[in-house]
Amino acid sequence: MSEPRLISSYLAVLAADLPASIVEELADGLAETHRSYLRQGLAPDLAAESAVAEFGEPQAIVAEFARVNPSRRAARRLLGIGPVVGACWAVALITDRAGAWPVPLAARILVGVALITIIALLAAAALTTRYRLAARTGIAGCIGIATLDAVLITGVTLSSAPMTWVMAGAMTASTARIAFAARSLVPALAR
Amino acid sequence: MRAEELKGHLDAVLLATLEGGPRHGYAVIESLRQSTGGRLDLPTGTIYPALRRLEQAGLITGSWSVVGGRRRREYRLTAAGTRALTGKRADWLDFSATVSAALEGRPCPSPV
Repeated sequence: MSEPRLISSYLAVLAADLPASIVEELADGLAETHRSYLRQGLAPDLAAESAVAEFGEPQAIVAEFARVNPSRRAARRLLGIGPVVGACWAVALITDRAGAWPVPLAARILVGVALITIIALLAAAALTTRYRLAARTGIAGCIGIATLDAVLITGVTLSSAPMTWVMAGAMTASTARIAFAARSLVPALAR
Repeated sequence: MRAEELKGHLDAVLLATLEGGPRHGYAVIESLRQSTGGRLDLPTGTIYPALRRLEQAGLITGSWSVVGGRRRREYRLTAAGTRALTGKRADWLDFSATVSAALEGRPCPSPV
């Protein structure tokens, strides 16, 4: 039996923002719901209308899936631990008088812009109700923050600045964040 | 009963539907409908994200099969899910006994 047009259209709306595996699962459930209404004696079109109505607004379903998106959860956690890691670096850089380090102005600006961009990406992933946007911005944010941490650690390691306990603490915090971001990427990329 | 009233208890209810064995999404919904006499008015589409959330939490596990040429995802309780269900069930019984006692103006039974 061919799929009623209403159900095809409904699934097309979901497919625009959800991965194929999720849409397949929803399609199976919708087909079963449609069949159930047909068994109750409804005409095919009315059965399709009832099945779609029972499922609810597609935007609401997409928003619910966006909420359970692993990228979104990772973004929220990274935003949560961000101030802690940032505070560690702030204390380390102030204590070690990093303002006097021979770092080009362009490099300082680049790091600042990168940090703001990463925070914006993570915030978008954490707040959006669109699944694909949450996935893409979350993954980009995870990769971005891990890269930025790696750049900071490498920069300090290669510099001639003496290694202090506070700097070691900041680098440890960044290393932990890299590990967290990398671990978060596995389920996010698996989708 | 509306979806908002079930918030906070949906996980336990979904885990309970899987206690009798593996089910796919539609079967979970049908089981809920039967066990509650159709009194739970949930948008069916929101059950699927909840199942994915429980899967991510390691409380259930999902696997694909092919039925009638269509791919179907079936869920089953994990050991952690069974433990979580036991805990949530005990919490609910304690909570409902406490609230019932307060509403009916009788002494609250001692926790088991």
